[in-house]
Amino acid sequence: MIRDIFADVLLGLAVLVVLSASVGVLVMRDAYQKLHFVTPAALVAPALVTLAIFVQMGLYENTGETILALLFMVIAGPYLSHATIRAIRVREKGDWRLRQSTVKTGNAPAEEKEQ
Amino acid sequence: MVMAFVAAATAMMIAIIPAGIVLYRGELVASVVAYEFITSVVVMVLALLAQGFQRSSLFELPVLLAVLMFGSGLVFVRALERWL
Repeated sequence: MIRDIFADVLLGLAVLVVLSASVGVLVMRDAYQKLHFVTPAALVAPALVTLAIFVQMGLYENTGETILALLFMVIAGPYLSHATIRAIRVREKGDWRLRQSTVKTGNAPAEEKEQ
Repeated sequence: MVMAFVAAATAMMIAIIPAGIVLYRGELVASVVAYEFITSVVVMVLALLAQGFQRSSLFELPVLLAVLMFGSGLVFVRALERWL
């Protein structure tokens, strides 16, 4: 009985996280901001779902497979987010690195010094 | 059938709708972000439905999709960066 209640609470939290993240993806203006709301759905909610299945089933084959799926998502999520931001920046600026002339270091660029 | 898991899966499928709107109507980069969001949610939906209907064999689907999410996401991102 307590297991069921605990699992229900975890599932409710997971659904809440996914619903709010989905609204965030819809409402935010640009892709950089939208990407912030992918992380809760890709990391936090799967962890809650896995925990709910673990609480419901105990240490069982199904739980193991869910943990495996969670593991892949935990590895893939941050890597994909980074790759996506990099791709968006390359599309916008032509290169993902900061340009020397745009960095405010307090020192003038080498070309300006020579003049 | 465990009702809570099926209900959670249904609620998460509803949560796909706003991201689907972005996927359909948004800019190209926003569509890729929405695609990544939807894939993550579908992995959970598959796991929840497998648990809800008590089918052990269906638990392989979320594992497979989680692996494919990584590969397909990188393919889309690379195409976005270079060709699209």
